[in-house]
Amino acid sequence: MTTLAQPRLRIDWLGIAFAILLSAAIILPLLVVATWAFTEVWRYPNVIPQQFGLRFWGATLNRSDVWSALTLSLQLSTVVTLLSAAICLPAAYAFARLSFPGRSILFFSFLAGHAFPKFGLLIAIAAIFLQLNLIGTFWGVVLIQLVGTLLFMIWIPVAAFQGVDRRMEEAARDVGASPLRVFWSITLPQAGPTIAAAVLLSFVGTFYETEGAWLIGAPGIRTMPVLMISFINNQMVVQYGAVLSLILWVPSFIALMFARRVIGGGAFARGFGG
Amino acid sequence: MSVLNISNVSKVFPGGTVAVDNFSLEVADGELVCLLGPSGSGKSTLLRMVGGFEEPSSGLITIDGEDITHLPAEKRPTGMVFQSHALWTHMNVFKNLAFGLKLRRLPADEIKRRVEGVLELVGLGGYGTRHVTQLSGGQQQRVALARSLVLEPKILLLDEPFASLDQHLRERLREEVRDIQQRLKITTLFVTHGQDEALSMADRVVVMRDGKIEQADRPDVVYREPRTPFVAGFIGTMNLLEGTVANGVFNRAGFSFPLPVADGPAILAIRPEALDLAAVSENGQAKVHRVTDYGTHGLVDLELPDATRLKASVAHPDMFKTGQSVALTPRAIAAYRDHALIHKS
Amino acid sequence: MIDATDAAPRPLIDTTARRRPIGLLLVAVPVFLVAWLVIWPIISAILRTVWRPDANGTVGFNLSSYVFFFSDRYSLDNLSVTLWTTITCAALLLLICLPISLYLRFSKGRLPDYVQAMAIFPMFVPSIILSYAFIRVLGPNGMVDILLNSVGLPKIRTPYLTPWGPVIGLVWDNIPLTVLILLSGLGNVANQAIEAARDVGANKLQVLWHIILPRISNSVLVALSFAVLGIFSAFTLPYLLGPASPEMMGPFMQRTFREVNDPLNAITQAVITFGFCIVFGLFYVRSVAHNQGK
Repeated sequence: MTTLAQPRLRIDWLGIAFAILLSAAIILPLLVVATWAFTEVWRYPNVIPQQFGLRFWGATLNRSDVWSALTLSLQLSTVVTLLSAAICLPAAYAFARLSFPGRSILFFSFLAGHAFPKFGLLIAIAAIFLQLNLIGTFWGVVLIQLVGTLLFMIWIPVAAFQGVDRRMEEAARDVGASPLRVFWSITLPQAGPTIAAAVLLSFVGTFYETEGAWLIGAPGIRTMPVLMISFINNQMVVQYGAVLSLILWVPSFIALMFARRVIGGGAFARGFGG
Repeated sequence: MSVLNISNVSKVFPGGTVAVDNFSLEVADGELVCLLGPSGSGKSTLLRMVGGFEEPSSGLITIDGEDITHLPAEKRPTGMVFQSHALWTHMNVFKNLAFGLKLRRLPADEIKRRVEGVLELVGLGGYGTRHVTQLSGGQQQRVALARSLVLEPKILLLDEPFASLDQHLRERLREEVRDIQQRLKITTLFVTHGQDEALSMADRVVVMRDGKIEQADRPDVVYREPRTPFVAGFIGTMNLLEGTVANGVFNRAGFSFPLPVADGPAILAIRPEALDLAAVSENGQAKVHRVTDYGTHGLVDLELPDATRLKASVAHPDMFKTGQSVALTPRAIAAYRDHALIHKS
Repeated sequence: MIDATDAAPRPLIDTTARRRPIGLLLVAVPVFLVAWLVIWPIISAILRTVWRPDANGTVGFNLSSYVFFFSDRYSLDNLSVTLWTTITCAALLLLICLPISLYLRFSKGRLPDYVQAMAIFPMFVPSIILSYAFIRVLGPNGMVDILLNSVGLPKIRTPYLTPWGPVIGLVWDNIPLTVLILLSGLGNVANQAIEAARDVGANKLQVLWHIILPRISNSVLVALSFAVLGIFSAFTLPYLLGPASPEMMGPFMQRTFREVNDPLNAITQAVITFGFCIVFGLFYVRSVAHNQGK
């Protein structure tokens, strides 16, 4: 008695439903923004814009406030990322590989910034900056952003350094490499990609950071997101915001490409305590 | 009580891998059958199809004549013991055992009675309130066995249940499992890649390779009369010599042996304990490569002139030295051609 | 994996004693920054709101700014809209993310990969761009209105500038992390533990309820804590999408600080948000530390 091979084709209805709903909720809004950026005339209630064109790209890019905000944002992100890398990477190495008194408690102290509601903490910091006359200054914003990058820039590299098998390092010592040489030729290349992702995340995170920049920086320091807030609030020509959104999204897209490794690896979620 | 019947079952995974290939087997009431094979032979896949965790691509599985081929796992009268015990770590021992009974809405005192009874059976009486993480590996595996038994399944399935335990514990547990199985007379299908386990526990051993049965026989028969060169090589230590037969004589690199079969290629299988050695001054068929003394017996590694290695078990290893020339006299052989037994003596 | 900090590092060859000062030196700057810009502002905020001059100028224990907050109708309205938003968002997040995570955990193939990519995508969309897209889609005469109109249906009542505006935006924004945290928790549920439950006769719902949920309860709480901490004092989305009155604590604090120029009351509001979130914050720290210790 044999049952014939039954090709049991199972259609993943649940998956299809999720895919459609998520695409509609997540891709559609962004598509609408992208469409607006290349639109010259789009009057309600037409489903498709009446006239496409690049006119508003020129108009947006000719605004001096856009250029100064872009330059400022890039400067700010670069300075913060470099500073953060300079102080955090050695610290991460120390946490991962050296032993010193208070190591655990100091390591977990970086969680403090994430254990409080962020904007409440910003207000508390702003109150201190007010006394130090740091409100509305470039370095005030740098400091606030720097604090925001600490957890990422220490915890992810610590995981990366710890992920390097000690035996690989010991084998290198065994064949005669000096400790510095071991770090340079073995540890760093092994941990490198993850660290690069952390650095990228901190650059992108700083570039988009809105709340600290708005609270500490305004009105003197206008970064791209802060400029965007005023575009939205002041009901400027719709396309300005759309074009700016697309320009703003470029770094995020690059991060998306590079960070997949780190985020897919699960280290990311565990860093958040999952 | 219960008979398991597997007929013409195949499993093709997406991507085209054939894990189980037109497999048929009947497990009699109260019988313990071991599926033995290397990893990738399809034995676990077959067991999981019986348990309901994989669906056969074709074929039929029945228990007592009732078709269960497409029933989901939760509706099957089978109980499975998993390789990594798979106990639920958020429940204590009692709750692990009681869970299935609760799903069946049994009264509380009945659940208590049955759980305590089966814990007694596996030698863990009074362990009910322990947390499963507080138990040793062997105890955890016993709880897993008890968890399957408490539901009084018609068929007990064991998927390499001792794989994560150490040698000593493994030997003790397999005796216990065999005792319990015989006391309950429960029809059992057991998957393992360890031949000791299969040979010591099973009523019948099914040697699998590439999703097919190579041989299904009593353990002693599988050991003494392997029906294919694969089984010969897989069970126990075996010297397998590929050579040619001409005029009723098997020949391989100077080693010859009378073999009354038709001319052609053949594989000669000789157990180390069935290969007698005699030290000769010169013109032996092989040279001693290494002698290992195990105390109770010795093992001599031999080398034919073409560097083929053979093993021979000897009672007095001190009679042989490395480099020495020896004469070989097989006491019992099996010969194979085209994966089938052609001669035995 | 960010792993075991407790697993004491084995020094290669050098003695521990020689390395100690170096280790402390290397971590000094970041630790100082945390102390100065996280710990100190919190302590100082609490001190400055409870220990300050009263009307007569005498410095002492003084809770009047808190008394004001809790007797002021407007402040209380803001607090309650914040609580409502937080609870609504948390509930919606669980309702949306738990099914997605369960689906992702137990399926394989290209479709689940796509679903996962979609669920994580919002992480790479800054909330400012999200706000803008929200207005273009759900705002008055937005894309949804256009589409409804084209099939002859009436316009929606736009959630823009209503309390539902921030709710939608915040849920959208928080989906990726919630899914990632839940997925990471589900990764700890062994396939065999589930198969064993099915083997003893549990159906899918019973497996979910008796086996999966108890095992991931910690991850669910972490995901909720994380969402609550982020949502309770959210600023950008409520500021751009929510109503002007009552407003959520984020915009409220910002306005008190910048526009009303009243740091004292702004700090008081900040300390009150700390108070409401302290349980979640502590739980979050505890479970991250616990995770790291493993």
